Amino acid sequence: MSELHDAILEGDAKAAVVAAEQALQAGADPLDLVQSHMVPAMDEVGRRFECEEYFVPELLLAARAMKGALALIRPRLAAGGAEPSARVVIGTVKGDLHDIGKNIVASMLEGGGFEVIDLGADVPPEKFVAAVKEKSADLVCLSALLTVTMLSMKTTIEALRAAGVREQVKVLVGGAPVTQHFADQIGADGYGENAAAAVRLARRLVAAA
Amino acid sequence: MSSRERVLAALNHRQPDCVPVDFGGTAVTGMHVSCVAALREYYGLEKRPVKVHEPYQMLGLIEDDLMEALDLDVVGVFPRKTLFGFPNRNWRSWRMPDGLDVLAPEDFRTAVDENGDTLIYPEGDVNAAPSGRMPKDGYFFDTIVRQQPIDEERLNPEDNLEEFTPVSDEDLDYYCRAVREATGTGRAVIANFGGTGLGDIALVPAPFLKRPRGIRDITEWYISTRTRRDYIHRIFSRQCEIAIANLEKIHAAIGDGVDAVFICGTDFGTQTSAFCSVDTFRDLYFPYYRKLNGWIHQHTRWKTFKHSCGSVERFIPSFIEAGFDILNPVQCSAAGMDPIHLKNDFGDRLAFWGGGVDTQRVLPFGSPAEVREQVLQRCEIFAQQGGFVFNSTHNVQAKTPVKNIVAMIEAVREFSGRN
Repeated sequence: MSELHDAILEGDAKAAVVAAEQALQAGADPLDLVQSHMVPAMDEVGRRFECEEYFVPELLLAARAMKGALALIRPRLAAGGAEPSARVVIGTVKGDLHDIGKNIVASMLEGGGFEVIDLGADVPPEKFVAAVKEKSADLVCLSALLTVTMLSMKTTIEALRAAGVREQVKVLVGGAPVTQHFADQIGADGYGENAAAAVRLARRLVAAA
Repeated sequence: MSSRERVLAALNHRQPDCVPVDFGGTAVTGMHVSCVAALREYYGLEKRPVKVHEPYQMLGLIEDDLMEALDLDVVGVFPRKTLFGFPNRNWRSWRMPDGLDVLAPEDFRTAVDENGDTLIYPEGDVNAAPSGRMPKDGYFFDTIVRQQPIDEERLNPEDNLEEFTPVSDEDLDYYCRAVREATGTGRAVIANFGGTGLGDIALVPAPFLKRPRGIRDITEWYISTRTRRDYIHRIFSRQCEIAIANLEKIHAAIGDGVDAVFICGTDFGTQTSAFCSVDTFRDLYFPYYRKLNGWIHQHTRWKTFKHSCGSVERFIPSFIEAGFDILNPVQCSAAGMDPIHLKNDFGDRLAFWGGGVDTQRVLPFGSPAEVREQVLQRCEIFAQQGGFVFNSTHNVQAKTPVKNIVAMIEAVREFSGRN
């Protein structure tokens, strides 16, 4: 694979930026850089995480390298009119300030070829609704770490329904206390037990839509 | 058996007369202030606001009358200053966002920002940048990361060592007093003297410091365990030297009145995996844990307590080899943490302090009958041949129904034949 691919996989942000710069200067197609080099690199990062060759620090490093390269490539993508595979609105739900897990999922989705609109932490339901409407999102990803804030996921889904946009998006939930059973109970479309699973699920839901 | 004898029997892997119980002995085995208030009301105790003695997680002080009502066997000795750097003294009224009136120390200084979030200040200094935030309508604080720009060339481990200082005479006086009071209760005593937590992610942002230097951002810290390992080694190495010198002075001052010491709350497990490999653990943490525990076992009778949430089964042999006697919170809902496996494979060498009931689903969201059933099951597994101090898996969280907390306490009594 390419230097860009390897730099992301190794979590070397400096090398990833240099590789992206050189590739662009050499006339590489920005969309091809993403699809043929960056997405496979982040998929491999996810695979290594799931089989426990990689852990949280390696995920964070790879995400940092990927973001560094993407910051260079993204303006070229936009100029070329390339469309992302789908648009994701992501955030930690109201009342919850924990964002490391959410940030990892956001990076893995971005590295997986999605356009990610990250609303941050402690996001009220109405902000998710507004972002879905404004950005015509395809997916909404909700994160929570606390048992007292898990229920904000339910109120967020209810708010999407009340605003008439629930049917236009798929809702994914995740976070330490969240389970598939809870996801089913609150009417989410899916639950990802880790970042790699979330990307797989997002791809499946988008493909099925 | 007295409470203390009961706990010591359990920690020494002998069968006590009944299962010893801890709530409130440490900052990871307590209850949210709202739960303490609800329990006081349930048991008809004197009506008075509950003291928030651990402001970060808003844990309520479980005073002697409630300890009696709950049959608790452990009392805690905490560091002189809280996680926000102020001492617990001169209590005054404070109102929780949900309207509950509590008592907080005089330096628990807060402000409400434009979003309605509550901000709290290090050392109670409102002129410093706030170091904690409780969301509007929230129940706990979270740290505000105050990371100075990192200049690789000028990174100095000393910057991450600012909080590790020689124990002061004031601290020693405080510990002597606190340990004397605690041992006077007849309960077992667990103490947290501070300074022994290696990279505990709640402490890395240093919410107790006004202007923390070094690596204080959580993501940056995790990354540093991989990319700046030498830097972290140098912090841990120096931190250990300071901690052992302090433990030596503290032990000389208080003797063996303490039964167990809280060493470290660094989490190595996630819900389904781990924060690092066993190899990384062995390289980066193990040598220092072994040094700390080794000194304690060589010079004191204290048992050593390791807290780590999540899926930590893979680390347990190393925890034992590093000299830990006690594991908490025993998160059986995490991958690989089957209670029967843990007890069968490690129960003769490690005491489980926690794991009594799941706080992610059963205790907050289950029925009292489900709580009872799980508590009885867990006691049946963990209490054989001692090696078990009953506690929920981590602190009892805000909004946990009081009927479920009572069902938990009554189920432990039922198991022990104390009802």
